[in-house]
Amino acid sequence: MIVRGAAAMLAAAAALHALPGLAAEPSGDPVVRGRAVLEAAGGCTCHTNIDDDGPPLAGGRPLSTPFGTYFSTNITPDRETGIGSWSDADFIRAMREGRAPDGSAYFPVFPYTSFTGMTDDDLLALKAYLFSLPPVRRENRPPEAWPPFSWRISASAWQWLNFAPSRFRPDPARSPAWNRGAYLVHAVAHCGECHTPRDLAGALDTSRWLAGTSDGPEGELAPNITPHETTGIGRWTAADIVWYLQMGLEPDGDDAQGLMREVIEHGYQHVSRGDLEAIAAYLATVPPVENRLLEHEHGDP
Amino acid sequence: MSAHLFRPLVRHAPGVGALALSVLLGASPAHAQAPETSDEGTLKYRQKLMSGVGADMGAIGDILKYGLPLQSLIVAHAQMLSQRADLVAAAFERDVSVGPTDAKPEIWAKPDEFRQMTQDMKAEADKLAEIAASGDAAAIGRQVKALGGACGSCHDSFRKPKEESYKRAEGGS
Repeated sequence: MIVRGAAAMLAAAAALHALPGLAAEPSGDPVVRGRAVLEAAGGCTCHTNIDDDGPPLAGGRPLSTPFGTYFSTNITPDRETGIGSWSDADFIRAMREGRAPDGSAYFPVFPYTSFTGMTDDDLLALKAYLFSLPPVRRENRPPEAWPPFSWRISASAWQWLNFAPSRFRPDPARSPAWNRGAYLVHAVAHCGECHTPRDLAGALDTSRWLAGTSDGPEGELAPNITPHETTGIGRWTAADIVWYLQMGLEPDGDDAQGLMREVIEHGYQHVSRGDLEAIAAYLATVPPVENRLLEHEHGDP
Repeated sequence: MSAHLFRPLVRHAPGVGALALSVLLGASPAHAQAPETSDEGTLKYRQKLMSGVGADMGAIGDILKYGLPLQSLIVAHAQMLSQRADLVAAAFERDVSVGPTDAKPEIWAKPDEFRQMTQDMKAEADKLAEIAASGDAAAIGRQVKALGGACGSCHDSFRKPKEESYKRAEGGS
């Protein structure tokens, strides 16, 4: 579907030598590349309290989960209330291992469970971009969750039970575009965090990868985006997926809503066409899972 | 319509015709007077109207995403969307928010705001018709997005989110 002849095969061979990080983009400026990483991550808008017109990326947005309400953190480079005093190693450890500079564990409402797959280059570019932004002074707010889900120690226990840091590993049997799409979907764009149902412990049920849930973040319904014919997006073409991520418009002309609209607006719409096509190529190969969340969805009368 | 059907009968035998007509009127008043406005019917009409809006948006999308040699038709689709904006304003004048509908009661709590949003939709559709005539693909794309944004703003305020949709499967998840 993607590989179309000798030139593409050659490109495939060349690309397999490198991890499919966004840092492969042409710009040499890490700030420019970092902005592209942020956009491919959906703009990191969980860190912006949009409803209260909060300053971008300064945190404080309430994120309601079945375990209680957590408040996103300030990721502007303010040295006292943000991440301005973090070293490169601090940033990489937070993103890949879910640990704060003081060693304490983050609650998995912060999707390090996906970001753990990101490349060093992408992470450091992202840090460079964040550090290029104006610092905003705003204290972080503790969670309003029920014990033990409010205790930091339980985040450690959760990690011990449910999480092991791991890089994204390309599949040499697949095309570079497929691997690029898989990397973006799994790690940077962290699609699974909303679109994959969770088990009782709040960990992703990977046996139903991307099969959707009616109990997504902020209580929103996250649709089934596996290629299941009638309950997923099996009838969407690659062009439909690219168009959706660029325009926020579904094949039936309806608009994206809620969090999806937000991450398209602040992020995915700016992702390069090649990367969006890679995402579509990967999504087409995800195992289809039957999981009906809405009646009459996707054009059924 | 029924009067027209009975006209020959009335002409040839006026007495019998009048009798037949009155029997008919008594037996089935629906033929003689408009049916009572039904909430269910209102909901069905609105849903067809909104599907039509989606169909035009989706058709414009197909022309652009597949690069179909039909780009000149976008003007007409945009004009239809402009007309549909007026229909949307009219279709939601009557307050029906109970039953299988995704319309939020806020439509009738803030009718001016709702009407303004249908006018925003019309303005963006008119602009698309104008830009589409120019043939500038990038500008057309931007304006389709702006029109989609008008859909989204109105839906944010006045349409139930997916998790509360009447289309929600019972016990789904």
